[in-house]
Amino acid sequence: MKILILLLTIFTLTISTFSVQAQHVSDPSLVAEGAKVYSENCARCHNARPAEEYTKKEWSVVIPHMRAKAHMTGKEALAVEAFLASTLTADVRNIASHENTNLPKKTGAELVTQFGCQGCHQLRGEGGKLGPALDNVVADKGEAFVLKKLMEPKFNNAASAMPKYPMNKEDIAAIIEFLKQE
Amino acid sequence: MKNGLLQSVVAATSMSLMTTVNAQENSTLDIGRFAIAGYGDVTYINQSNMKDEAGNDIQNNVVARFVPIFLFQLSEKIHIEAELEFSTNAEGETETELEYANMDYFFNDNTIITAGKFLLPFGQFGVNLHPSWINKAASNPGLYGGHGGNGSLGGITSILGDTGINIANTWNLGDAGRIFTDFYTVSGPRQEAGDHGGGVEMSAKNGDNNNTMAFGGRIAYAFLPEWEVGVSYYSGKYSNDGDLNYDAYNIDINWVGSYASVRGEIFGSSAETEGEDDPIEVDEHGEEWVKDFDKSGWYIQGTWQARELGKAWLNPVEFVVRYSDIKSDFDGSIGHDFEEDAGKMGSRIYYGVNYWLEPSAVLKLGAESTSIDNEGAGHGGIVDDRVFLQLAFGF
Repeated sequence: MKILILLLTIFTLTISTFSVQAQHVSDPSLVAEGAKVYSENCARCHNARPAEEYTKKEWSVVIPHMRAKAHMTGKEALAVEAFLASTLTADVRNIASHENTNLPKKTGAELVTQFGCQGCHQLRGEGGKLGPALDNVVADKGEAFVLKKLMEPKFNNAASAMPKYPMNKEDIAAIIEFLKQE
Repeated sequence: MKNGLLQSVVAATSMSLMTTVNAQENSTLDIGRFAIAGYGDVTYINQSNMKDEAGNDIQNNVVARFVPIFLFQLSEKIHIEAELEFSTNAEGETETELEYANMDYFFNDNTIITAGKFLLPFGQFGVNLHPSWINKAASNPGLYGGHGGNGSLGGITSILGDTGINIANTWNLGDAGRIFTDFYTVSGPRQEAGDHGGGVEMSAKNGDNNNTMAFGGRIAYAFLPEWEVGVSYYSGKYSNDGDLNYDAYNIDINWVGSYASVRGEIFGSSAETEGEDDPIEVDEHGEEWVKDFDKSGWYIQGTWQARELGKAWLNPVEFVVRYSDIKSDFDGSIGHDFEEDAGKMGSRIYYGVNYWLEPSAVLKLGAESTSIDNEGAGHGGIVDDRVFLQLAFGF
């Protein structure tokens, strides 16, 4: 009995030690990690679903459900939420038709990181495999294709899981310029 | 010592509560309370030679299902979920079933405690892959014939959901390696009415019929995103007097690539069955016996997405093939004439082509053919070939 109590005590204290704050933080560094977790976990059972299928508030309820289904850790679930929120956050950027913005200009590399592109696409051998590699995408498909894909991700594939990112034409041009250099 | 235990429990509880408070104070994203997800499907089944057990034609079925999942976030640490299934049965009536209803308590970053009615983490298909928009085929693997199956090839078990408690853990091993563990205890299987103990009831029911809980678990190793291999075990007493055991095991192997996937499960179960030999003389009792009624089988399923070819018009197209094989054995002799034994030996092959309308909406065209090896054991030679056309969607 004493051994059982001792074991229970050790177990409880051990579990407590590993407890972490389940906080929601809009940390940009989480986005790339979230995209990677999203790509690696969701597609194991079903097609990764575009972020726009739910609102941010709905995703914050859906992801804990999927955390249990997919055996994600709390930190991973939080990162996925941050990734999904980044594509749905209106104040990150704006849609392509709205050009009048006072937001600071970002480089293509910064935008690729910000939107977690490498969660699903490989670039220089790094990244996920849910989507095609991006190293030669401009050379192979042409600038017009990449521009249209970024503006309307489903234009060539209705089943594409690529989100429609909140980015303006300057952002898209910067990303294309960055990809041309790869 | 008892004080130490009490203090540690209080400390853990306090930390848990503090976590909740901190989480709420630090939240900067929009936190929702309620969401509805789920799936549904409409399936047309052409089975020109199919008859039910009474000999009636059951051709050209159209079956519809709507399966909403209600999600409620009570707090950062507590999540509640319930899945209802509304479907039409063979008589055209509406059936409603509570697939699961449970509470997840996120104990810490790695541990989730689930209480309520939940899908048992036994293999992969029953807990994760059965929803029709996720299931790549329009039918279920032959092993799961009792779960949505409607053919002559009976499944090994349909005990896929039950009421109890589960503790799930995720252990990270480097960047891509994971170990998943689930351990649960639930009400357990029940005894079916009938001769020879009747066998194991193939559908979970509320409450336990004996004084014992069933237990089980799954341990899996995953190397993300491509590999996951799991081993599951389930054991419980199923008879009314609690002296007959039911045990089941499952080995699941999953490989998911960029354009293709291969999944398979090896599945077996053993139910102790009691009976009595025929008496040699009138007014004499035969000899009582307990023997094992074993069922086993496996399936393997491969999928390939035609978008690998780089042709835009082929992007939404996916091909599926699946082979299932089942056998059952009563203590080394299939000759024993159990009613439930009928049609338990055989194989089934499914070919299908899927057209994805959206990432969560698919039109499936499939054909399935079943070969029964032990036709003489039960209903005789039931021709069981069918063609499916199914629209499935997740929402």
